[in-house]
Amino acid sequence: MSKIVVLVACLHFVYTLTLAQTQHTLQGVVVNDREEPLPGASVVLLPVQKGTATDESGRFLFHHLQSGRYIIQISFLGYESLTDTIILKDDLTYHAKMNPLPLNLQEVVVTDHYAETRKKESTLNIEVVNDDYLKQYMGGSLMKSLERLPGISTIDIGSGQSKPVIRGLGFNRVVVVENNIKHEAQQWGADHGLEIDQYAIDNVEVIKGPASLMYGSDAIGGVIDMKSRKVPVNNTIGGTVDLTEKSNNDFLGTSVSLYGRKNWFFANFRATILDYADYKVPPDSVDIYSYRAALYKNNLRNTAGEEHDFHLTVGILQKHFQNRLHISSVNSKSGFFANAHGLEPRNVDTELHDRSSRDVNYPYQKVNHFKVTNTGQYTKERLKVETDLGFQHNFRQEWSQYVNHGYMPAIFPDTLNFDPDLEREFDKYIYSGNLKLTHTWNKEMSLTMGINSEYQDNRIGGRGFIIPAYNLFSIGGYAIAKRTISEKSILQFGLRYDYGHLTTGEYYDWFPSPVIANGDTTMQYLSRAAAIDRTFSNLSWSAGYNYNPGNWSFKANIGKSYRMPIPKELAANGVNYHHFSYEVGDPDLSPEISYQLDAGIEYTSNRLALGTSPFLNYFTNYIYLNPSSEHDRLYGNGNQVFYYTESEVFRYGAEIHAHYKLFKNLQAGIIGEYVYSEQLTGGKKGFTLPFSPPASAIFNIKYQKHQLKFAENVYGSIDYKITAAQNNIVPPEEPTDGYQVVDAALGGDIKPGKQILNLSIQVKNIFDTKYFNHTSYYRLINVPEPGRNVIINLSIPFSVSNNSLRRYGD
Amino acid sequence: MKYLRKLLIVTFVILTVVACGDDEDPDKEKPIIDISIEDAFPTNCDTIYFGETFELKLLFTDNEELGSFSIDIHNNFDHHSHSTEVTECNPGANKEPINPFAFIESFSIPDGLTIYETNQLITIPAGNNDGLYDDGDYHFFIRVTDKAGWSTYKGLSIKMFHKQTAQ
Repeated sequence: MSKIVVLVACLHFVYTLTLAQTQHTLQGVVVNDREEPLPGASVVLLPVQKGTATDESGRFLFHHLQSGRYIIQISFLGYESLTDTIILKDDLTYHAKMNPLPLNLQEVVVTDHYAETRKKESTLNIEVVNDDYLKQYMGGSLMKSLERLPGISTIDIGSGQSKPVIRGLGFNRVVVVENNIKHEAQQWGADHGLEIDQYAIDNVEVIKGPASLMYGSDAIGGVIDMKSRKVPVNNTIGGTVDLTEKSNNDFLGTSVSLYGRKNWFFANFRATILDYADYKVPPDSVDIYSYRAALYKNNLRNTAGEEHDFHLTVGILQKHFQNRLHISSVNSKSGFFANAHGLEPRNVDTELHDRSSRDVNYPYQKVNHFKVTNTGQYTKERLKVETDLGFQHNFRQEWSQYVNHGYMPAIFPDTLNFDPDLEREFDKYIYSGNLKLTHTWNKEMSLTMGINSEYQDNRIGGRGFIIPAYNLFSIGGYAIAKRTISEKSILQFGLRYDYGHLTTGEYYDWFPSPVIANGDTTMQYLSRAAAIDRTFSNLSWSAGYNYNPGNWSFKANIGKSYRMPIPKELAANGVNYHHFSYEVGDPDLSPEISYQLDAGIEYTSNRLALGTSPFLNYFTNYIYLNPSSEHDRLYGNGNQVFYYTESEVFRYGAEIHAHYKLFKNLQAGIIGEYVYSEQLTGGKKGFTLPFSPPASAIFNIKYQKHQLKFAENVYGSIDYKITAAQNNIVPPEEPTDGYQVVDAALGGDIKPGKQILNLSIQVKNIFDTKYFNHTSYYRLINVPEPGRNVIINLSIPFSVSNNSLRRYGD
Repeated sequence: MKYLRKLLIVTFVILTVVACGDDEDPDKEKPIIDISIEDAFPTNCDTIYFGETFELKLLFTDNEELGSFSIDIHNNFDHHSHSTEVTECNPGANKEPINPFAFIESFSIPDGLTIYETNQLITIPAGNNDGLYDDGDYHFFIRVTDKAGWSTYKGLSIKMFHKQTAQ
C-alpha cells in the first residue's frame, strides 16, 4: 500500500514539475460588505466546470489553470450572486466582495452547482433535486413529489403513502438512504409507504440503475439518496414555518423548523404534523370485481390518516472535522379503503364509515420509525475519512376486524397472547455502521474504499403469517478508483464483495387445521415455516466513463449488481388474504444477479438542453412470485398457489428530457420515459414483470421571472401528461387504459414589508379526469386516481438578526 | 457528434432485434365462471341443506387451457365478509357463530381443456362432534385458474339449513 502511495506521489511530483510552468493558480477570498470573510461560499469557474467552497477564512484556490478567459461565479445564500470575467495570464488573487440581500434569510447551501457537478461526475444516470423542487411539485408523500422525474414512478397506497419505483423496479430492488444510512423497514410489502418526512428533506439524489457497488445488496434497481447538506449561516438563529393545504383530501400540514449556529456548533429541529381526510375520486362508485361499492360524496371510505414527525440535528463544524447527529421519529396512522381490505371486497357499515371523513376505522395501519444516525467526516490534506453509525426501530401494525378465514376458528380463543383484531405486526431493529476512506493523490487519481455493515432483528406478531421472524447480518467492502484523464474525461472502476448471513425462525399456526391422512381427519397445528440458516456472498463491479466536451456530456457505465433473497422469498408459506394468494417461498433461491449497461447523452446550451439515458439490463435470475394454476386446500385454504421462482429477465428502456428557451422568461420542455421488460425463461416466459409502468411523457411550459412587481422568483408552469395504455401485463394484473392529465403550478416569493413569504400553488388533475394508475395498489379493485386537487404551500422563513445574537452570545 | 451517431445506431439495432423477436403473445385472458347454464348450482341466493349431497354444476371456460378450481364455504353471520355479486339475499339478523360450518376443497381439471362443466358430488355433513352446524347465511366462494396463472373468483351468498328447520 505504502509503495503505491510513494509511487503515485513521485509521479505527481514529476507531473507537477513538467506542467508547473504552463499553468497558473487562481486564489482569492470572499468577504461581505464589512470585509468579514464568508466561509462556505460557492465558487465556480467556467467553462472548466471547476467548483469549490471557501474555507474558514473565506479563501479559495484553483490549481493548474491554463491561460485564458474564465467566468467566475460566486454565491452565498443571503447575498447577491457575483459573476465576473477574469483573464488569466499569470497567477492571480481575486477579491470578491458580496452585497447582502435586504433580509438575511434562509440557510446556506454548501455549493449551488452541486446538482450539475454530481451529474457530470457520476458515470451512472442520476437526478438531483432540492427542497425548492419538492415544494413546487409537492405530492402526498416524498415519492409522489419525485414522481415527475424521468424514470421515477411510485406504487401508491391511498393518498399519503407511496413506494419508490425506478425504471419499473421497486420494493427491495430500490435502496433508500438517509444521511448515508440505509433506510430499513418492511420494503417488501405492497401496502405501506416510505417512512420519510418530505418537509425534512433538503436534497435528494436518485440513481437510476444498479448501484450495488456503493450501496450493496438491494441497490439493483436504483437508489434514493437523501443527504442533509445545509448548514446555517454563522451567528444566526432562524426557522421556517410551512403550512400546506390540499383540497382533495382536506389535507392540513404544518411543519416548523428552528435552526441556529454559533461558530462551530449548529442545531436544527423540526416538527411536522399532517392530518388528512378520505380522498375523493371522480366517480361515485367503484366496481370491485362485479360488486359495486357506492361512494358517499365521492369519498374513498376510510383512506384518511395522520402523521407526526420530529427531527433533531446537532452538528459540529471544524476545519478538518465535521459531525452530525440526527434523531428522528416518523409516526403515521392511515386507513385502508374500507370496501376492500387488499383485494377482498367487503360490505361495510356505511353509517360508521361515512359519519366522518376524517376518522380512521378498521382496517388501518400504524407505523413508527425511529432513527438515530451519526455521520462524521474528517479531512486532512488528501485524505477524507467518513464514518456513519445508525440505529433504527421500525414498528408496523395492521388492524382489522377478526375474520375467520380458512380454518381459523369462528370464535377467537381467549388463550392467545395477541388481540384478535391485530392482523399483522412487524417489529424490526436495525444497527448499521459504515466506514469510507477517500484518498486523492492528485487531481488525476483518487481511490475510495469502504465497508458497510448492518444487523437486522425482525420480530413478527398478529394473526396472519406472511414472513417469518429473522436475523440478518451483512457486511460488504468496496474500492473505487477514479481517474481523471483530462479536464473533460473521467474513468471510474469499482469492485465490491458482500457477505450475508440469514437465520429465520420457525412458525406454527395458532389454530388447528383438518389434516386428512388415510381417510382419517385429525386436527393439527400446521408448520408454516421451518428455520432457515443461509449465507450469501457476491462479487459486484462497475466501470464507467464520462466525457464532457464543451456543451456535450456523454457517459457510459457497465456493472453487475446483486440482491440477497429476502426472508419472504425464502420462507413464505401462508395465505395473503389481501390478495387471495397462498404464497410459497423457496429456501434454495440464490442471490439475484443483474448486469446493466447504461448510457447518457446531454447537450446544454443557453437556450437548449436535451438528453437521453438509455439502458439495457439482464437478470440471470429475477426472483418473482409466480401465480400457478394450482389451488391448495390444507395450507392454502383453497387459494391459488403463488410460488417464488427465478427467471431470466431482459429489460431495456430510456428516459428523455429536453427544454428550450422560447423567450427570456418562457421555456418549453418535455420529459419522457419508457421501459420494456420480458421474462425469458420460467413459468411466465414471454410475460413482463409485475407493476411495469407504462410509457409516459410530460409536456411542460414554464414561465419564470426574477422580479415581478412585489414578487420575486416568480414561476408559473403547466404540465400536460400523456400516459400510454399498459397492455403488457402479467397475472394477476389488469390492463390499464392510457390517460391524459393536466397539472398547473404557480408560485414565488412575496414580500409584504420586510417579511418574505414563499408561496407555491398547484392544481393537479385540473379537469377532474377519471383515470387508473397501473402501479397503484388499489388498481386491481378498480379504484381510480384522486380527482382535482389544489395544493397550497406557504413557507414563512424567519430569523433573529446577527447583532442581537452576537450581543447575546458574547 | 460521431459518438452520438454511433451510440444511436447501436441502440437502434439492439432495440430492433429485441422488439422483432420470435415471441408469440403470452396468454392475457382470464378464465370465466358461468353460473347461467341450465341447472347451474349453486347460484346466488340458493339454499344448500345440511346432511345432504348436492351436485356442483358450474361451467368454466378459458381461451387456452384451464388449470384448477377450489370451493370454499364459510359463514357470513356478521355480514362483513366478501361477495362479488351485486344482489344481497335477504340476510337474516346478525348473529354470533356457535358451531358454524366450513368447507374448503380444491379440485383438478383434466389437462388440455378449454371448457369444463363440473359434476362433483359434495356431501355436507349435518354436524360434527360439537353438535349440529349453525343454520343461516353462508358464502360460497369459487376460484378458477387457467394454466397461465390467471384466476377468476366468484363469491355467492347462499343459505344453509337443516331440512326440518327450513321454512
